[in-house]
Amino acid sequence: MTAVTGYSLVLPGAPAPADLFSAGYGRETDREPVDPAARLGRKGLRYKDRATQLALCAAQDALADAGLLAGGELTAAASDVAVVVSSNLGNVDTVCRVAGTIAAESARAVSAMDTANASSNIVASEVAIRFGLRGPNVMLCNGATSGLDAIGWGVRMLRAGRARHVLVVGVEPANDVARRLARADRVVDGGAALVLEMPETASARSARAKLHVRRYLRTGSVPECLDRLGATAGQASELVLGPEGPDGAGEAAHDLSRTLGRCSGALGVLQAVAAIGWFSTITDASAPVLGVCGGGTDDASAGVVLVRPAEASR
Amino acid sequence: MRIPVTGLGAIAANGTDPDQIFKSLCTGQGGPEHLRGFDRRRFTAQRLFEIDDRGPDGDRPLRATAFLLEAISQALADAGLGDDLGDVPMLVGTGLRELRSVELWHRDGAEFRLEELHFGTALRERFNAFDTHTFSNACSASLYALALGADLIDCGDADTVVVAGVDTVTESMFGLADRVQPHPPESVRPFDSGRQGTILGDGAAAVVLQRPDTVRDPAAVHGWIRGVSANCDAYHPTAPSLEGVTAAIAQAHARSGLGPDDVDLVLLHGTGTALNDPVEATALRQAHGASANRPLMTAIKALTGHTSGSAGLMSCMVALKALREGTVPPVAGLTDPIPETAGFRLVRPEAARETLDVAQVHGFGFGGINAVAILQGPR
Repeated sequence: MTAVTGYSLVLPGAPAPADLFSAGYGRETDREPVDPAARLGRKGLRYKDRATQLALCAAQDALADAGLLAGGELTAAASDVAVVVSSNLGNVDTVCRVAGTIAAESARAVSAMDTANASSNIVASEVAIRFGLRGPNVMLCNGATSGLDAIGWGVRMLRAGRARHVLVVGVEPANDVARRLARADRVVDGGAALVLEMPETASARSARAKLHVRRYLRTGSVPECLDRLGATAGQASELVLGPEGPDGAGEAAHDLSRTLGRCSGALGVLQAVAAIGWFSTITDASAPVLGVCGGGTDDASAGVVLVRPAEASR
Repeated sequence: MRIPVTGLGAIAANGTDPDQIFKSLCTGQGGPEHLRGFDRRRFTAQRLFEIDDRGPDGDRPLRATAFLLEAISQALADAGLGDDLGDVPMLVGTGLRELRSVELWHRDGAEFRLEELHFGTALRERFNAFDTHTFSNACSASLYALALGADLIDCGDADTVVVAGVDTVTESMFGLADRVQPHPPESVRPFDSGRQGTILGDGAAAVVLQRPDTVRDPAAVHGWIRGVSANCDAYHPTAPSLEGVTAAIAQAHARSGLGPDDVDLVLLHGTGTALNDPVEATALRQAHGASANRPLMTAIKALTGHTSGSAGLMSCMVALKALREGTVPPVAGLTDPIPETAGFRLVRPEAARETLDVAQVHGFGFGGINAVAILQGPR
């Protein structure tokens, strides 16, 4: 069991977690895009790509929500905080723009400011630099399952003693290259973040758990994933958050991408925040929420069992 | 931690398997060649360490995937495992994923799907593996993957784990490096005062890790993972931090329970850049203290190029060969070591022969992400 002690949502229109299930989120055309400068201040954002800026917003809010950031300063030991970021489309725009410039002109015409952005781990390392997080720093680019895998690796890093707190971020930027590569009309242009800790770490610093991650697993197919998650959950779930797209987990599963657009590497992290929204709305919900990413044409499925913390239901 | 390595696989510009690469390193074979996949007119730099597999039809997508599958196939065969892996975890470290294919897709309309940008899709097709993970952790990616893969066995989550690293050079990364290097290097010269920078290379490496009590043939063990550190400088997107690198070395010692007095060999990250080499040498001196002049030291990038995501695991493969054979390849091209290495036992100009037990392998990447592995020989 792993405690989620902080979370954030960084999405157009600034919805609350519970809005992810409701019509209250509003029409897509009415949603204001995320403005990182308004949330973080302009300083230090120049030359940072969109995925990085979105991740910095998500990281700041989740760390603050977990009580690990006070007055902009980290309240935990820097080396105790690990970072796991999930994104598939993060820097594909930079890579294509630079390759296009080289083809049209030459390498002398590219901007040196793109150098760091050509490496896919720029998102995770910029989060570490901004907030001074010196624990392990992992950039997961693992396809459709990537967001849940990021949670899974966060859990494992806590178990292996590599960190006491893990900041998990899932973000995807919307741009032409991302939409074409994802073969999607809409890509989310946002994401979410979580802070994971062992329950005893959380209670030792009087941090309240907002959600518990009971199990993370990977399987070769969605039905097998649901079977094994169901066996772990021990009771029927009233909510299954399914993979995105038409080949998901069937009609009974809630596909967040229907309202948000293609979520790709952000999906799993968004599912966890959606579960927090579910438990806050359905106050008598006691059954676990299941999250499943990857289905149909994807290489595998990942799943999590998300449960309401006991103290939160009292 | 004491986790056996039971399979090795690798491919680089200077060899198509671990034995060949190790022999090339010991005899000084390898070096950068003229560009094969990119249009030479568009760059000042004209050299890379490419694996020459393209033939007359020019560049094509999915070369990184092909090298990865080759290295993993070698490692599985070496470990006596079949190619139906199912739930065996496969962890792949990479700097640039299949971004070269994205470039060809964007620029030339080459066929490519988002599902091929990470390596799980190919690993499912080839090995029926569904517990696959692509870590895009720059130049320390494969050592980071090794750290997390070893954790899986240590925590009892898996009996067998495949860890791999791979990269092929992207035109965007090569072009951006070219932009900021007015005088591109003709060769990579780690720790030499005449070093002019690094040159990237294609490469892939793979290892099979097993839970100790599942090893049937002790003679098949290449060596042991004793501990792998992983941290982040949180300092600068491209420049290393002395404090962060020193902490990564110290953390590896703490995790392995072995220290500077146990380390017989260091496989340095040694990129031949102005930034890396002095910081790495100084960090090693700080972390090893009075024992800094004890181990033999070498670096392989003069002959393989900087193979980025596979670099750390490539060095692990070389370290395991060196521990077993008691032979350490020299730092090619090193004639005038930088002052920060004064007193260090950098191997040159020939391979060294010595009885060795414990090796330390460094991997540092863009974003200040550091990982250091402590390995022990088979004896």
